[in-house]
Formats: sequence, C-alpha cells, structure tokens
Amino acid sequence: MQNVSRWYGNVVAVNDITMRLEPGVTGLLGPNGAGKTTVLHMMAGFLNPSKGTVTLDDKPTWRNPEVYRHLGLVNEREAVHGFLTAEEFVVANAKMHKLPDPKAAAARALDLVEMTEAKDRRIGTYSKGMRQRTRVAAALVHNPRVLLLDEPFNGMDPRQRMHMMTLLHSLGERGHTILFSSHILEEVEQVSGTVQVIVAGRLAASGDYREIRRLMTNRPHVFAVQSSDDRRLAVALIAEKSVSGVEIDATGLTVRASDYGSFTRALPRIALGEGIRLRKLLPSDESLESVFSYLLEA
Amino acid sequence: MSEASVIHDIGYQRYTGPRLGRLQVLTAMYVHGLRAAFGFGRSAKAKIFPWMVAGIVLLVAVILAAVRAQAGIVALNYVQFADAMSWLVILFVAIVAPELVSRDMRSGVLPLYFSRPLRAADYVWAKFAALVTGVWLLLGVPQLIMFLGAAFTTKTGMRGVWNEVGDLLPAWAYSVLWAVVFAAIGLLIASLTGKRAFAAGGIVAVFLMTTPVVGVLSILPSTDAQQLSGLASPMTLVAGVGTWLIPASNIGLDLGRFGVVYLIEALALIATCLLLLLARYRKVASL
Amino acid sequence: MPVSLIVTDALTKTYGGRVTALSDLTVTVEPGVIGLVGANGAGKSTFIKIMLGLLAPSSGSVRVFDIDPTVNPDQVRARVGYMPEHDSLPPDVSAAEFVTHLGRISGLPRTAARERASEALRHVGLYEERYRQIGGYSTGMKQRVKLAQALVHDPDLLLLDEPTNGLDPAGRDAMLALIHRIGTEFGISVVVCSHLLGEVERICDSLIAIEGGRLLRADRISEMTAASDVLAVEVSEGTDALAEALTKLGLTVAREDRLLLVPLESDAAYDRILQAVADLELPLHRLDQRRHHVAELFATKETADV
Repeated sequence: MQNVSRWYGNVVAVNDITMRLEPGVTGLLGPNGAGKTTVLHMMAGFLNPSKGTVTLDDKPTWRNPEVYRHLGLVNEREAVHGFLTAEEFVVANAKMHKLPDPKAAAARALDLVEMTEAKDRRIGTYSKGMRQRTRVAAALVHNPRVLLLDEPFNGMDPRQRMHMMTLLHSLGERGHTILFSSHILEEVEQVSGTVQVIVAGRLAASGDYREIRRLMTNRPHVFAVQSSDDRRLAVALIAEKSVSGVEIDATGLTVRASDYGSFTRALPRIALGEGIRLRKLLPSDESLESVFSYLLEA
Repeated sequence: MSEASVIHDIGYQRYTGPRLGRLQVLTAMYVHGLRAAFGFGRSAKAKIFPWMVAGIVLLVAVILAAVRAQAGIVALNYVQFADAMSWLVILFVAIVAPELVSRDMRSGVLPLYFSRPLRAADYVWAKFAALVTGVWLLLGVPQLIMFLGAAFTTKTGMRGVWNEVGDLLPAWAYSVLWAVVFAAIGLLIASLTGKRAFAAGGIVAVFLMTTPVVGVLSILPSTDAQQLSGLASPMTLVAGVGTWLIPASNIGLDLGRFGVVYLIEALALIATCLLLLLARYRKVASL
Repeated sequence: MPVSLIVTDALTKTYGGRVTALSDLTVTVEPGVIGLVGANGAGKSTFIKIMLGLLAPSSGSVRVFDIDPTVNPDQVRARVGYMPEHDSLPPDVSAAEFVTHLGRISGLPRTAARERASEALRHVGLYEERYRQIGGYSTGMKQRVKLAQALVHDPDLLLLDEPTNGLDPAGRDAMLALIHRIGTEFGISVVVCSHLLGEVERICDSLIAIEGGRLLRADRISEMTAASDVLAVEVSEGTDALAEALTKLGLTVAREDRLLLVPLESDAAYDRILQAVADLELPLHRLDQRRHHVAELFATKETADV
C-alpha cells in the first residue's frame, strides 16, 4: 500500500498509510474502528482507495480480477450455508476459481486445515472453530500467495485458537504472506512478532514489536530484577548513568533504564562486581500490550 | 486545640438493610412500567405520542361535557364514549405496548432482570398491570371529566349526581374491560419482536384485519351469523360484552341471546393471551 | 465449616437429547477470584443459567451458597450479581437511573437503591457521565455500568461474563484492576468467564477449565503456573556466541527463537550464565525461570473435532 487513504464522506477510515507486506505472518493491530477491516478490504480488492495505490506485485488490487488468483480473504462475519458439507463448500469455491481439478485442490486445502475427517458432515453441525477453518480452506483452495484474515480468532475457545495459530504459523513458514487483524493483543503476540499498528486510521508503527519498543528511546525501559542482595544491587545500579530510577519492594527491584543498550551490558558487570547473584531479569513493558498502549498515547 | 485529622473510609460498604419481597419488587416493576407508558423518566420524545393520544381523548371528553352543560344534550354517554375512542385506544396500545415490552427485548436487558429475584411471571404481571392501568386511565379520566361536567351542571341536585355516579361506575368497569382485552392482545403481539415499529404495526394490523371480518359476517343472511359477527374482532367483542352487561348503554349492537357467548369469548381471549405471554417469557428467561 | 461457594456433582445438561452443553461436571469452587475458561458458547451460558436457577440440569446437582437454585432461585439470585457478555443496556436512560431501577428490582427499598446505585457507580469509576443517557457511552463505560448493576445489591458472588469484551488495552487493564480490587478489597467472590488466558492468569487465584462440556481441570492458578526447572536467557545480540560459550562451560543449551534454555540443576547455573554474558559483553535482556502457563492445558491433547 502506498500513501493510501480512504474516506466515506467526512469519515476518514484510513489516513495516508504506506505499508509493505513480506512473506510470513503479520498482525494488523488496532483498536476497534481503527480501520483494520478497511485496510484488508482494500488489499483484497473489494474497496478502492480514495487516494493512493494498493498493489500486489505492482499490480493494483482494485478492479483486477486477476489478482484474486493470488489472494484469499477470510472475512470476520460470513454466512456459510449450513446445509453444505465442508467439502462441497470448498469444492464450490475451487470451481469459482476455475481450477483444473477442484476436488483435488479442495482435498489439499481441507487437509491443510485438518478438516479431512469431518469434511463430509454438514457445516451446520460444526463448532465455531471448524467453521472458521472451513472458510480458511475455501480461501486457500487456489493456493494464493497472500491470505488475509479479519479477526480470525473471534469467539474461539483456547484450543480452537491454538489450532488456528499453529496453522497460520505453518503457512507463514511455507512462504505465504499472511495478514490477520485483531484487537486482542494476547492473540497477536502468540502468533507473530511482526505487526502493523493502526490507530484511528493512521499507521502508527510497523515491524517487530520488541524492536519497536527499543525504538521508543524517550521512554525508559522498565525491568523487574531479583537478586541475592537487592538493596546492595540497587545502590550499585543507581550509581550507573544509564539507570534513571530504582524502586525496591518485597518482590524485588523495579529498574528504569534510560539507555537500553548501556544498561543491559552494565547489569551483568555490576552484579558480578558486587558479588551478587542475579536470579531474575524481566523486561516489564516489552509486551505487545505495553508497546501498543505507548503507541496509542503518541 | 484542633480536631484530629482523619481520612474517612469511603471504601465499599456492605448492605445490611432490608431486602423487600417479591410483591414489592413486582410493584416497583409495575410503577416503572406505568411511568414508562406515559414517557416519564425518559426523554421528551417519549412523552409526545402517549400524551398526544391522551390529549385528544381528553379534548373529546371536555367537548362532550361542555355540550352537555350548555345544551343539555348527551351526545355520547360514558359507555358510548369509550366505544367511540376505540381507535385511539388501539393507537395508544400500539405505541405503549412496544415501549413496555419490545424495548426490553431489543436492548437485551432481560438477562439483567431475570438474574434478579424477579420471576418471568412477575415480569409479565407487572407489565400487564401497567398497561391495563394506563389504558384505563386513558379512558377513565376523560369519563371522570364528563361526569364532573354533568355533576356540576345537573338540575336535579343530589339525585342527579347520584344517577351520574350510577352511570359512571359501570362505564369505568367497561373501560377496565377494554383495558384488559387490549392490553393482553397488545402485549402478546409486542412480545414477539424487539423492533418497536414492527410491534406497533403488528398490533394495528391485527385490529385492522379483524374489522372487515365483522363487516362480512354482519351482512350474511343468517341472523345468528349477524348476531355472532361481533365475535370476530376484539373491538366489537368488547362492545358486545358491554351491551350485554350494561343494557342501558345503548351501544347499538344486536346480540340476540348470544350475549353470554361474548363474555365467554372475551374471558377466553384474555386468558389465552396471558398464558401465551407467560409461556413466552418463561422461555425467554431461560434463553 | 465454611461453606464452599459453588458445588456441582455430576452436573449434566443436554438440549433436545443431541447437544450436550455440560457433561458430568463435578467441581467445588472456593471463595476468591475464579476463572472459568474454555467453555465457549453453550457450556458457559448453560452453567451460568443453571447457577441462577433459570435452567434445570438434566441430571446431577448444583448448590450455590449451599442453596439449590432449582428449588430456591430467588434466594440465590439475591446474593449473586450477573454481568452479561452482550449488550444489555437501554440507550435512552441514564446510568444512575438504570442502576437505581435495577437495585429496586433486586429488592432494595427506594432510598437504599438510590444510594447504593450512586456508590456502585462511583466504585466502578463513573462520575458525571452517570447522568447522561447510556446510548452515548463508550464501550468501556457501558461495561462499567453492567458491572455497577451487578454490584448494586451487594452480592456475595459476581458472575462476570467476558468483562473485558470490546475494551481497548487501557480499558482492559482498568477493568481487570477493578475486578481484582473487588475480589480482594471488597471481599466479594468473583467468577470471571474469559477466553483470554493471560488475563485469567493475571487476576484469578483459581481456575476451572471446561472443554466439550467436561471438566478439563480445576486447580489453583499458582499450581498451574509453577516454575519449572529451566532457565530462560535472552540477549538482544550475540545469541549464538552465548550459546557456544555456555555449552563450553558444560551446560546443556536448547534454543527457542531468541531464547536460550538451560536446565537449572543448581544455583551455580545463574552465576555461570551471568559470567558468560559479562565476558562477552553482551546486552542481557532476560533471565528468568520458565513458568508454566494456563494455555498449556489446551495444547496437550489432540482433538480432531475442535
């Protein structure tokens, strides 16, 4: 996507976004209403950008039926005909793509999502997770390079989610480019470290979220530390230039480091120098959630 | 010497006061419903329709009272007045029943009610009582105004007033009958959908569709059919019961010997609607 | 003997003989903050409805506060506050009025209802907004109103169904902190139904995991997140060099993405790792004993019919 904007009258859904997707799994993150679905639909060619270009291999996705060969989209809400079996549904999709051997392609896709055993039952009897996987199979039947999923984990229970996550992960490893949207950070964290964060229509950050955190140099990194002698360690640390604050309580130390690089190198040295055993060092605000909330405040 | 400083404890307090029983809870629900019927406790928009209808009915009553006071003509007696206002009553029910019942369904508030010591039956009774009260007030207050007009301008003193009371009380009972029948039907239809517009339309439609049936039946050659034709529509049904029970009212329906049939059907209709309502909400409560 | 909060015995519920929502569920829930996970859709709402006495079990029994909800539902409901998952608020009344009204439906006299509604709204963090119509509220505010109405009648047990639904991360934090406060400071037990295991780990002290209607596990969170005897080390650069150095020191090193996993055979392991990192002048990012996660419950079994 290059300088893409999309508006509906006065509502600017997407505001000047430039984004590049590589093979692997990327999480499209943002609060509700941030514009994630709009971005996905523009990538899938369902919506045209009001401004800017959305291209796949340098060919625009809008009004380009050719591009559907390389794209698969799994929408957030989709009515699937309950009376069809999974196999029938996926085969129908294969036929719509004019594949030479729809049954074989469908079988392959269903196998990929681990629905081979259940494929002859009606979709109406499926659990939510199975339905979702059926739709993913339908979106994969033509072996697209790119797979777009809108809130794929919605309403799934933990085991179903794990299955879906493993599936997406393995697809990513095989070289597919996968973009899935979510507003539940916990889910995104487990599937992919690479994120695109959208806030109120604007792209706030891209890349690996841990690296994004390290880019936020204006925020001291916060670490939780436990050692064999917390107080002495605290004294030694506060003498260090890269440390901007140390708090001590029953559970250990909370250290604020204004310079990540210096601190992480200094800590082992200082602990050894003082003869203190370091038992725990844990970054407290590197989670996707913290990164995200910092980005929201920007 | 200064007072010691203190930080007051405004943390969470447990409640050790009385907890009222089902009857009071039902009453609270009833009062809430009655207020909602006339738009109290909500926005100004919610007050427009019910008060508009009430206003028209009141106006008619005032005019009738004035005409009677000035010219001594009883254009409509109390019972005939209620009949004459039938379509306004339907309009009122069509607006208020959805407010009482469809709104709760639409907003998904029912789980909040039924997770409390409020049974499905209590809910139904409270809403029903509220709507019955509302409709009765709609008819009864104007009837009262007509009465007051007549009482203050009567030429026959206490006996005249007493006569009027004798006319008013059965008319009030008649209004109660109207209220009960129409509330039962209206609530039942409204409970089928969460969309207020659909419910209102549905209620009006039911009454609209049954009226021509009466018309058709009443021109059939058989006198029995003609006399029973009123059973086909709730409005004529109620009027029929009124004719039979209050002969002095001159409603103008010929029932032959079928008066009691009207009463039975009316009671059966009310009972059926209420039972269906209770069944519906018992199902909804466990959903 | 202190009364357990909820006790079920072989609780089963089937709908129409085909759909089994709960199957042979036997569990004892002690007061505290309890997470209910895994049961999605049918199982979860069935369990809640049975507890509230809105549904009768097909077989088995359940007791809440040692009361049978199928026999005395009113008694149970008077002591339970329920926060539903879905939208449940009328748009055209104010929060203050709505919560007061529900307080009265819970049996509180009029003044008490008003006062407690006001307090409940304060505790959940709604101030001037409470006099505005609910229709204009954000999702976070609406969730708080739902929580306030569950608190207004001073229940002994709160049933919260997906309380962080639709909330952004800041809202979720606030809600979770509030729930934790309620469970610890206010002294009210809380059952939190959630599909977000991380949340549950954070605020709950025990957990009930249901899967396919059956009990998967019921345990204290501390048992399920116990530390394992593996140390995780992460350096932001030079992972390979460190792995080599540690292996040379005689430690068994396993690699997981950016992490190096070293068995914690003795405390000396800590020192050796630290020495190696310092010698190589590598930036130490993490050093921690690996803990188990609730999520592992769901990763072990293989089910085709998921």
